[in-house]
Amino acid sequence: MALPPLLLQTAGSLAAILALAGLAWWLGLGGARLLTDDEAVRHAAGEVEDGFNPVVIARDAEGRAALAEDSQGRIMVIRRHGNRFAARLLGPSARAVIWRDPGVADGLEVDCGEARFGKVFLELPDPEAWAAAINALNTPDHA
Amino acid sequence: MPEFDPTQYAVPLFVVAVLAEMIWAKLRAPEAYEPKDTLVSLAFGLGSTVAGALLGGFAVAVFIKAYEYRVFDFGPNENSAWWAVWWAWPVCFVLDDCKYYWVHRAGHRIRWLWASHVNHHSSQHYNLSTALRQSWTGPLTFGFLFAVPLVLLGFHPGMIAICGGFNLIYQFWIHTEAIGRMPRWFEAVMNTPSHHRVHHATNPRYLDRNYAGVFIVWDRMFGTFEPEVDDEPIRYGIVKQLGSFNLLWSVFHEWIGMIADIWHSPWRHKLSYLLREPGWSHDGSRETSDMIRARWQARVGGEIAPAATSVADRNRIAGAHEAA
Repeated sequence: MALPPLLLQTAGSLAAILALAGLAWWLGLGGARLLTDDEAVRHAAGEVEDGFNPVVIARDAEGRAALAEDSQGRIMVIRRHGNRFAARLLGPSARAVIWRDPGVADGLEVDCGEARFGKVFLELPDPEAWAAAINALNTPDHA
Repeated sequence: MPEFDPTQYAVPLFVVAVLAEMIWAKLRAPEAYEPKDTLVSLAFGLGSTVAGALLGGFAVAVFIKAYEYRVFDFGPNENSAWWAVWWAWPVCFVLDDCKYYWVHRAGHRIRWLWASHVNHHSSQHYNLSTALRQSWTGPLTFGFLFAVPLVLLGFHPGMIAICGGFNLIYQFWIHTEAIGRMPRWFEAVMNTPSHHRVHHATNPRYLDRNYAGVFIVWDRMFGTFEPEVDDEPIRYGIVKQLGSFNLLWSVFHEWIGMIADIWHSPWRHKLSYLLREPGWSHDGSRETSDMIRARWQARVGGEIAPAATSVADRNRIAGAHEAA
């Protein structure tokens, strides 16, 4: 039985795109960009929102994510997305949970409220203050 | 005339060019590609082909019906074959490119159309695979209606489709960072990698600029041209980056957002969420591209092109400059 042309074309194209994506992976393209210092966080935050100037920064121990707070009290969570960064300004629907793993540094799980953005895990030495600040965003009196 | 789709014949060229650019990236700029992003972009291209085949019939039917009401018959008589009228081809190509400018501009300024076109912009990378990141949901918009005036003028739908195919093929090669600038005369008339990088940028100065397909002259004529500034690193994607490689979310996220906004908004604002520009909100809680640009201009003191540093690096707390 002959396959419909559209199905045949689709199957061939699917094989081709898998091969191309596989080649990109095999060539080692991409890499893993990290937030290695506060300057990198400032740069990433400024890219997300022009003029966002962090005054307090907390970086994940491995540089995969960061939190940044500006002088207006706005908090941004930044995380790696492929070899770029994606971020969200946190709002009332944001939640933060402290997690502790015995023998491992403390950390923070930040949920910006968007399921598709996903939860962001940060290994931080002092997560309590950030958790309190993020969870306070949903209080009525928060500016 | 037999059915002819130039883009199908160009597919081998696309594959070879992507391969060549990957080798360039390996040698010069490995960060230009991200395998997961490449896979999503190419899957967009494949899905777009399938969606067009399955859903494009309505537009074709409208064009064929509209052609019955054409004002002019090109050629010596009504029965002359449309494809044999040689002079109609370049005229059609130019007019179709002008049409492309306007449908593309509408695609960025009307949320219903943006819900579809955003797919082409949602990659944070800019390479030849991005060119193939085509929408699946174009047939769900009214963008095809922009071609109706050409049909009514007398250009056969088949001629318009072929010209549009070549237009799309032209636009493939301009999706690259591997080419800096073309010769000055070429940059003045044609759309180029430099001009189109601006179009894909989210830097405030570049938002909603350079809509051209083949000829950049349309942007110069209609006031939307913005040149690329050499020392301002471009960041690609959309204002609110997806942060996800989920293909279906990437395809439908703006449709879902738009429908949710229409659903939850007061009655008198529902239509605005469909027809006004992306970022518009009835309570002013979001920003349009015009608002983002105005805020940026206010922040940098009204200087339109302070190009010494990147947008992100200006007005920072620390003084040190970080290379892009």
